[in-house]
Amino acid sequence: MKLDFDFATVAVTEFGVGRDDGEGERFLLVPVDGEAQSDLREIVATTWRNMQELEPTPRRYEPAEKHAPSEHFYLPIGDDLAERVRAVHQANNLTVAGGTLSDPANVFCYFVRMTDGQGRRLTGLRRANQFKGILKSRLLRFVSDALTLVEDDVFKLDNDFDLLMDASNVHILHPSGFEFVGHLQDAVLRAVPENGKAVQGDLTFVEFASIQTYALKHARAARLLASIRSQDEGKRIDKASLKRHCKTNGIEIRETKGKIIVPEDQVVGFLEVLDRRRYELELVKGSPERFKAGSRQKLAK
Amino acid sequence: MTNAARHEGLKAARLLMVLSSISPLFVLWAIRGNSLIPDRYFLAFCVVMVVAPNAFLWLRVRTARIQQDRRQIVVGTAEDHRDHLLVYLFAMLLPFYAANLGTWRDLAASLAAIGFIVFLFWNLNLHYMNIVFAARGYRVFTVFPPPDDSPFTGKGGQVLITRRVFVSPGDRLVAYRLSDTVYLEMDR
Repeated sequence: MKLDFDFATVAVTEFGVGRDDGEGERFLLVPVDGEAQSDLREIVATTWRNMQELEPTPRRYEPAEKHAPSEHFYLPIGDDLAERVRAVHQANNLTVAGGTLSDPANVFCYFVRMTDGQGRRLTGLRRANQFKGILKSRLLRFVSDALTLVEDDVFKLDNDFDLLMDASNVHILHPSGFEFVGHLQDAVLRAVPENGKAVQGDLTFVEFASIQTYALKHARAARLLASIRSQDEGKRIDKASLKRHCKTNGIEIRETKGKIIVPEDQVVGFLEVLDRRRYELELVKGSPERFKAGSRQKLAK
Repeated sequence: MTNAARHEGLKAARLLMVLSSISPLFVLWAIRGNSLIPDRYFLAFCVVMVVAPNAFLWLRVRTARIQQDRRQIVVGTAEDHRDHLLVYLFAMLLPFYAANLGTWRDLAASLAAIGFIVFLFWNLNLHYMNIVFAARGYRVFTVFPPPDDSPFTGKGGQVLITRRVFVSPGDRLVAYRLSDTVYLEMDR
C-alpha cells in the first residue's frame, strides 16, 4: 500500500494539540520553528517506515480484533469508525493558539499536518502519553560534569505517530492509540443501528432486533457487529451451516417461523461465530476442543 | 477552553505592528514640526516612532520566513478590505495631522487620543492595516473557511495580506504567520 503523499515536496508542516477542557474537544495549532518541523517530518517518515517494515500490505482494521501494541492496519478514510480522526484530517484553517501549552494538563493528543507540493495533506496523530508524562517528571541534564534540574517547560515527542492519514486511508500503527484518539468505543456504539440494519439486510433469516438492543449497551457486541459488517460476507452465509456451527460451538439458539432467535446471554457467542472467531478442532480423536480467537487472520491458501 | 487557548498570542508583536501602521502620522508630524519641543528632540521621537515599529515588522516577517512559520489557508469566502485603508487614512491620519499641537494640552490630548486608537487597533486585531503593505502592492482580504463537516474547522476569519487581485473560493494558499490572525502570502 502506498501513501498518497510526496515527502520530497513538503510545503507546509503544522503542529497542533487536541485538548479537552470539559467543554468538548478542540484541536488547535501551535506554532513550531523550522527545526521542530524538520523533526516532526522525520517522525512521520519513521512512522511510515515502521509500518512498511511491519506489513507492507496491511489488513483492514477490525474493531473486534485483539491487537498487538504495534501492527499495521488500514481503514478507508470514509469509514464510520474513522469519523473522529477524519474530522481532524479534513478540518481547515484550524485556530492557532500558541498559549495553549502554558496549560498542558488537558492535552490528550498531538498531531502534525503536512501539505505537499500538489496540495495533498498528510496528518499524523498521537495520543499524548509521553508529551503529558514529561510534565510530571523531573528532568536532569549535564551542565559541565554535574547534573542539574531542567527548569524550563519541556515537551517530549514520541518516536512515531499512532496513525497517519492521507486522502484515501487511515494508516494505523498503534491500534490502541487510534482507538483512544478516535473514540472508537463511542463510534462502534453509535454505529450499532446502521451496522445492525446492514447485517440484518444480508442475514434475513436471523432476528437482529434483540441483538441490536443488546449491542447498544455492550461494547464487545457492538465491536463484533461492526467487524461482521466490514467483512461484507453476510449474503453468502448459509443458514444450515450457521446453525450447525452454533451447535458445534455450544451457542444455544432457537428458531421461530423460520427465523433464528438469539437469547441475550448467547449474543456475543453468536456474533463471534459470524465473525469467524469460534471454531472446533479434533486433533485427538473423540476429544473435540472448542476455541475462541481473540485475533485471527484469513489465510489466502 | 482555557484563557491560554482562547486569547491571541504575540501581544507585543501586535502592538508594534499597530504602531507600525500609524507610523505615517509621525512622518507627517516630523515634516510639520512642533513649536513646543525643539526639533532635535521632536524629530528624534518621530524617527524612533517610524523606524522602530517598521523595523520590528520587517523582523517579524524575516523571523516567520526563517522559522518557516507558515500554514495552509483554505478559502471559503474572502472579503476585500481596500476600503479599510481609506477609512484608516481619512479617519486617523488626516485628523491627527490637522490637529493643533501648539499647546502642551493639545499635544497631550493628541497623544492620549493616539493611545486610545492604538489600544483599539491592538484589541480589535486591526494591526494588518499598514501603508507599507499597500505601497508594496499588497491587498488585504479577510478569509473564511469553506463550510464542511468537520467540527474542528476554524470558525473565525483570518486576515490575508497578498499580492493577489482576487482570492477565490476553494483556493488553498500558503502564507507566513505575522500573528495568529494575520498572514502574509509572499512566495507565489
